[in-house]
Amino acid sequence: MMSNEEILGKIQGILIEALGADDDEVTSSATLVGDLGAESIDFLDIVFNLEKEFDIKIPRGELFPENLASEGDGLAADGVVTEEGLERLRERLPFADIDSFANDPQVANIQDLFTVGMLVNFVADKLNDTE
Amino acid sequence: MKLAGKTALVTGGSRGIGRAIVWALAREGARVAFVYRSNTEAAEQLVKDLELDQRETLAIQADVAEPEAAERVVEQVLETWEQIDILVNNAGIIRDGLLATMDAQQWQEVIDTNLGSVYRFSHAVTRPMMSQRFGRIINISSVASHFGNPGQANYAASKGGIEGMTRCLATELGRRGITVNAVAPGFIETDMTEAIRNVAESEIMKHVSCRRLGQPEDVAHATAFLASDEASYITGHVLVVDGGLTLGGL
Repeated sequence: MMSNEEILGKIQGILIEALGADDDEVTSSATLVGDLGAESIDFLDIVFNLEKEFDIKIPRGELFPENLASEGDGLAADGVVTEEGLERLRERLPFADIDSFANDPQVANIQDLFTVGMLVNFVADKLNDTE
Repeated sequence: MKLAGKTALVTGGSRGIGRAIVWALAREGARVAFVYRSNTEAAEQLVKDLELDQRETLAIQADVAEPEAAERVVEQVLETWEQIDILVNNAGIIRDGLLATMDAQQWQEVIDTNLGSVYRFSHAVTRPMMSQRFGRIINISSVASHFGNPGQANYAASKGGIEGMTRCLATELGRRGITVNAVAPGFIETDMTEAIRNVAESEIMKHVSCRRLGQPEDVAHATAFLASDEASYITGHVLVVDGGLTLGGL
């Protein structure tokens, strides 16, 4: 079974290639958008490369779901994610650090939930499922 | 040879401009798969001719208007050659008629074949091309998208759509080493233009600066150039190949 460190190493390789990031930037806590400069097309590329590297299947929207919280659906109000919205985030992003985000749950910061560490946990779980 | 080691897929490849594109890419060293819909005889003849010329080729029967065709065709190319570097979206039909009398089927067939297939085939190659960090998508448009030819609302809409899509895709995929361009032929001597040539050739020729009909090879050479490494810094462009038809001179 692959250790989390081995998974991190491979994911670092993918992100360096996909985002043109430097290796010392790609830490566990680095956010994909804020720290590493990922754009929407990069998410697609990352998913493709994770599938290839780890031989796993990632259904569309599973790793990087869209429309996570909006005012219209009661999951956010005045630019802040509601309690209900936070619960929904925990369901849809089980590998993200929702507890830290809940300290200041700005809708604008939702993308910061996508971190390198989240990818590692996601892949570890997928590999666990397939074994 | 500019395309040695490359693999290409051309839709609508058995006749007309598509056939010339298949030849142009093959002569530059690419392995070329082409899609044909119904003319098995023409497709088999083309395969025979290419093989006689020591070219590696693959003919795939499919109706590009069918929703599942693109995935199946691209999969077959990948299974055969394990890579896909060049996609030429060439398949196109006309169902001319004044809009007042154009029925929904005339509209839809043209949109599904000419524009829908560009979406589906481009979608199907995006993933392998992104993984390769290399790709060339070349969409065959038409100067009909710039003119207001009466009777061609469906065709012009499909070709105008292709040009808009070309620009969007170019911005989406540029970072991955994939360029997306269009070639807009003018008045080319093919089966498709035969009817109009019979009635209006001399009138149209007055507006063609080069004073000759375009040949399928004129379009094919432009396409082969856009597929080559020499065109790696050209993306989102519509290359007009019309002998000056759209310049408006007399």
